[in-house]
Parts: sequence; C-alpha cells; structure tokens
Amino acid sequence: MATRIPSLDDPRVLVSTPATIYDAIPPYAPRTEREAEFYGLRDGEMLVNMGPQHPSTHGVLRLVVKIDGERVVDLDPVLGYLHRGIEKLSENADYHHAICYTDPLEYVSSLFNELAPVMAFEQLLDLRVPRRAEYIRVLSCELNRIASHALFIGWMALDLGGITPILYSFIERDEIVEMLAALTGQRMLFNYMRIGGVNGDLNHEFLSRLGDWMGHALAQVEADTALLNQNEIFVRRTRGLGRMDRQTAIGFGMSGPNIRACGVPYDVRRAHPYSVYPELEFEIPTREEGDSYARYLLRIDEIKQSIHIIDQVLHRMPDGPVMAQLPRRITPRPGRAWAAVESPRGQYGCFAISDGTDQPYRFRIHDPSFVNLQAVVPLMPGNLLADTMAVMASLDPVMGGIDK
Amino acid sequence: MVDVLRTLHDDADLRFEVLADLAGVDTGDSMQVVYHLWSETTTDWLRVIVADLSRDDPRVPSATFLWKGAEWMEREAYDMFGIVFEGNRDLRRIYMPPDYTSFPLRKDFYIADDSSRSPGLGVRHMEQVHAPVESAAPIRRSRAR
Repeated sequence: MATRIPSLDDPRVLVSTPATIYDAIPPYAPRTEREAEFYGLRDGEMLVNMGPQHPSTHGVLRLVVKIDGERVVDLDPVLGYLHRGIEKLSENADYHHAICYTDPLEYVSSLFNELAPVMAFEQLLDLRVPRRAEYIRVLSCELNRIASHALFIGWMALDLGGITPILYSFIERDEIVEMLAALTGQRMLFNYMRIGGVNGDLNHEFLSRLGDWMGHALAQVEADTALLNQNEIFVRRTRGLGRMDRQTAIGFGMSGPNIRACGVPYDVRRAHPYSVYPELEFEIPTREEGDSYARYLLRIDEIKQSIHIIDQVLHRMPDGPVMAQLPRRITPRPGRAWAAVESPRGQYGCFAISDGTDQPYRFRIHDPSFVNLQAVVPLMPGNLLADTMAVMASLDPVMGGIDK
Repeated sequence: MVDVLRTLHDDADLRFEVLADLAGVDTGDSMQVVYHLWSETTTDWLRVIVADLSRDDPRVPSATFLWKGAEWMEREAYDMFGIVFEGNRDLRRIYMPPDYTSFPLRKDFYIADDSSRSPGLGVRHMEQVHAPVESAAPIRRSRAR
C-alpha cells in the first residue's frame, strides 16, 4: 500500500497549516460590525489578498479585495506594515530632534513634513521668521511639490503598465533633487527647515542649477505629459473611473488635488494662508469631473502654477538673515498649536502641545494620504480588479505618511 | 458634545464642513479628544476639545455621522490611546497588530531605550516641569553566556 505524501492539494494539509496575519480571512471572530459585513461571503464571492508587497502599492499596503468574478465588491485596506511610531519618538525627543524624525513620513515631499511641525513650534514660541527665510521656504517647498507631482505622473503610468513615462519623470525629478541636494545637502530626507528659519542660505550651485532648469521647465512638463494626455489606453483606463462626487469628498475630509478634482477649491494656501503666500499671485486649479483622469490633469496644472510661484519668489527674494535669534535649548510656554500646510497630497497638519519642557508633550501629525486612502473604499465597488491600482495610484497615497 | 459638533457642522452661519484633524491626547490623569475644524465662513481653524475622559475607560460618541472621514482617525486614536468611539462601526486597531494589548501613545507607555524616563517615574503630568532623576539606579545586565 502506497503511503500518501502530503501535498498542498490535500485539504487536510491546508486545514492544519497555522493561520498567519497574511491570510485573507483573519483567524478570529469578527470584532466589529464592518468586519463581520466584509468577511462574510455571499454566494460567488471570494477574497483576494493584494500586498503587503505588491509591486504597485506605493509602499507596503495590504488590500483585501472581495470580488465577484472580475468585479470588485468591497475592499478592506490593512495598514501598519510601515508603522515606526514617529509620534512617540518625537514626544521623547527635543523640539529640534522632532523635526528630523518627521522627514521619512512622506518621503516624496519631505520639506512639507518639516514645515508643518516647524510652524507649529514657532506658534508655541510666538516667534517671527525672517522674511528671506519665509521666501526660501516657499521656494524650496514649491520645487519639492513639482518633484512630487512629476513622480506621480510616472507612477500612475507605471501602475497602468506603461514603463516609459516614469523614466521621463525621473529626469525632471532628478534635476530638482540635485538642486535641493545643493541647497540642503540631502537628496531625499532634507532636514532643512529649522525653528525660526532655514538651515542655510541660497548658494551659488543651487541658483545656477535653478536658472538652468527654469529655462526649460515648462517645455519639459509639456513633453512629459504629451506621452499620456492623448494616449488612448491611458485615457480609457482613467477617464470616468474612480469618480468621486463633491459631497462625499468633503465628508471624507479629502484634501489636495484629490478634492480639487471634484470641484472644491479647498487649498490651505488660500483657506488659511501661511508664510508669504498671501503676497504671491497664483491660481487654485479645479476640475469638475472628479475621476482619475481629472486628478491626473489637475496635478499638471499645479506644476505650472508652482513654476509661476517660483518665478515670483525669485524676483521678490528679499535680503537679510535666514534664521531668527534663538537659544539652542528651547522651552516654549505651555500651550497648544496647530499648523497646516498644503503638501502635494493635501492638507498636512501638525498639532503640538507644550508642557514647558524642551520636549513636545504631544506631537500629532495629520497626514493627507491617510485620509485620502479611506476614500478608496467607496470608490472601488463595481470596478474591475485590474483597475484597483489605477484608481489607487490616482489618489497618490504614500505609505510612509499613512503608517507614520 | 454631539450637539455641539452637529450645530457647528449644520448651522447655516457656521458650516464647519471640513474636519481637519482628530487627535487623542493623554494628559497624564485624563484623556482628551481634540477636533480641528475649518469652515469657508472664516479663515481660521476652530479647535474643539472634549476633556476629562477617564483614563480607565475613555468613551466618546463617534463623529462619523457628520464626517465619514473621521472613521480612520478614530480608529487611530483608539489604537494609540484606547479611546472608545461609540457608534464607529469599524473600531479596530489600525497600525498595531490585532492581538496587541497596550496603547503606545499613552504616557505610561515607555519606549525601551528611554533611560531618562524609566517606569519608576510614573506618568509625566502635563504642565508640570519634568526633571530626569539624577541618580537613577544602574541598569543591571545579565551576563552573556
């Protein structure tokens, strides 16, 4: 009698395999109403696990997708694979150290991550920043915004299966990254903003690179996007997909290009002006369609507005110091401060509480991708499974920020 | 608190339609939930603080009936502080694994290498100057075998 070799086809082997956290169906009874609703399967439905290391999830996001045939019925994003406890670390570091912890949050737009906490700490200290420092902040942030949006265009095409656009967008991003590296000394995690100003003044290398780039920036944006704007495959896979209406978007607390693509002109630079934005002239582009294609086009418009802002900043750049006079060890008076900036993904906020020591008592980061990703749940049902990533990519989430 | 938020959200003169942030705070002897709201009628933020929740069993009504987007932020506050939002239909842990039992952002949760604030010091109270203990007991290390 031949002995049976256990194989994966044997149902008993599958049953005896211990459950892991990667199993689509969790190995415990549902704990909430929503979980019971999601993990209860009706006839013909099945669960598919995407991630956490799916190549197009922009980091480590796990999606449990409930499908019926090829159509998505429901979706359950599972977060936390990149959680580093940055809020806790910052509460145990002093004010200057907390800033450098925030860099790896949204690693595509690090300067905004630093700007919001720095502004909150300045509120706690009741500190005025020199005007030249404010202008340099706006200049470097807008450059970072362009780099982030340029990368978005490439990413989105990559998630739809086109590999060429990302090579072009990396050319554009690399120019800006080299520029910022000349200014800050780092390519990605800049650590440039300081409480009371910025780390260093504009230098010759930065300005000469910036001058070179400004000459062809607009032409390059046009060239990059010409590949996609009229591309039939791209347009078919984005237009009309992932449509979000105005009221839902507001209810979900979405912000940034995602809400402006639904026709809501909410931009923190206008809603609650900070830094020197009230002195600058720029438009808030909006679109009415609210679909993936609108979100893509809107970001191109924003790149053009950012180039326009940089142009004005360079013409108006005042002379003077770039740092306020400040002691090394800062101890703000007890109080609370909330500051928000408009990052490439939306409203990026920081809530800080001081208890009079040199460490923040509470340090809270509000990340726009975290809120925007929630909207993926009502957007998906009815779409094809293959379009899940296309819609996700158009929301431009960055897992570093979502998972903190 | 539900009435306050509903009035802020629905009143025709106020219209605080944007929930900018929802944060949990551990003050050392009580818990707080802090909401930041924005309305198009004013350029400034509005901060609403729900204070004096008990540390043992903090409970707040959920704001998801006004702002759907509060759901995940409430899940985060639950995960980090153990604040229970009644009416949130998906109050699970969001960052920590499902079988995790403590609440990391509470002030009595110490990170392992935080020598200046050892568990013996207890909870660090808010608005009270914290001074690290000068003569902390030396850490005993087990001899490697």
